[in-house]
Amino acid sequence: MNPSLKLFLVLIIALEVTFTSYLYSNIVIIILALAYLIYRRVRWQRLAWLVIITLVPAIAIFVTIAFFSPGHNVYFAWVLVSRLYVYVMTGSAVSCTTSALQLVRSLEQNCHLPSKFAYGILAALNLFPRIAQEVRLIRIAGQMRGITLHWWSPRLYFKAILAASQWADQMAQAMESHGFVEGQTRTSAHRVPLTRRDWTTFFILVVVLQLLIIALP
Amino acid sequence: MKKGFHLRDIILLALIGIIFGVIYFAAAFVYNGLTLLLTPVGYGPMANDITMGIWCMAGPLAGFMFRLPGASFLGEFLGATVEMFLGDQWGAANLISGAVQGVGTELGFTLTGYRIYNWLTIIVVTAMTTIVTFAWDWFRNGYSHFAGQMLVVMIIVRFISIFLFAGVLNKLIINMLDRAHVIRR
Repeated sequence: MNPSLKLFLVLIIALEVTFTSYLYSNIVIIILALAYLIYRRVRWQRLAWLVIITLVPAIAIFVTIAFFSPGHNVYFAWVLVSRLYVYVMTGSAVSCTTSALQLVRSLEQNCHLPSKFAYGILAALNLFPRIAQEVRLIRIAGQMRGITLHWWSPRLYFKAILAASQWADQMAQAMESHGFVEGQTRTSAHRVPLTRRDWTTFFILVVVLQLLIIALP
Repeated sequence: MKKGFHLRDIILLALIGIIFGVIYFAAAFVYNGLTLLLTPVGYGPMANDITMGIWCMAGPLAGFMFRLPGASFLGEFLGATVEMFLGDQWGAANLISGAVQGVGTELGFTLTGYRIYNWLTIIVVTAMTTIVTFAWDWFRNGYSHFAGQMLVVMIIVRFISIFLFAGVLNKLIINMLDRAHVIRR
């Protein structure tokens, strides 16, 4: 399925699930999303991590609603737990099966996202290892002078932002010297297809979602 | 220079999002630890309110740095987008919370007319972010089922958290950036 449509579908699901509270439709959505993740061969370690890490907020919300709220509404507690898993599973159905490059390309070509945003985000993402390295360096440099920089130290952020500001300048200049012009129409070497089949799947799934929410108790 | 966002600004905003992502990745254990600690007394969901200010830092910082309409929303939203790509557990659902937080922080700057940039702005930004994110969590986490007294405690804690992290800590960073002449006027 086209990456942009997949993203929109997941956003629609997340919004609908937030404003309705039905347990069984949530469970069906989780199972479908999980099946999709397995079908796309997402590593089982990743799946297990997703399930386990979400247990923390899930248990918290269950205990609070079921035992400490005035209504002691166990059904609603399960609704909220399943809702958390809907977010995580459908969200991962996009982020674990589509690379940033594919999604950004699709948003640029199929949804007319301005190219400065598309390439700006990609440029920043590619700098990720350098930023992680820089933050580590700033911390070590501080320790050498006997200063421990915690995650709440403004100095740590300040120094990292200074470095980022320089990189942003250099990166933008480099891209412009390679012929990148903001707002210019671009041709693309890799077309992201948006076929009639994608649209049909998208609409069928949206309709199925409504049916699930209406039909199931 | 022409107003608006250019390639350089967008790269910088996304980079700031990544910086915050990298730094508070180390702080994620705070959220999990707090949740586990508070659950037995029935205040588990309050961990979200205690840490809320940390997740809302990128927006106000961008608003103060760029001083343009939309900067705060973009900063917060790009930060969330980047986190989604870096393999956060919430995946695409990050975009929604990023947009909600972005609208909250942006409203604070809108209400001060994009002209005032001092402690008043910080208070207004904090108040708007608290209201907007709380309204979203009202539906998302089913707050209508919570005890009234708990909700009052939660909204106060959320306000304090946003004020401390997105307000005070951001202001300290901004002061340093200001002295280093990084902020455009």
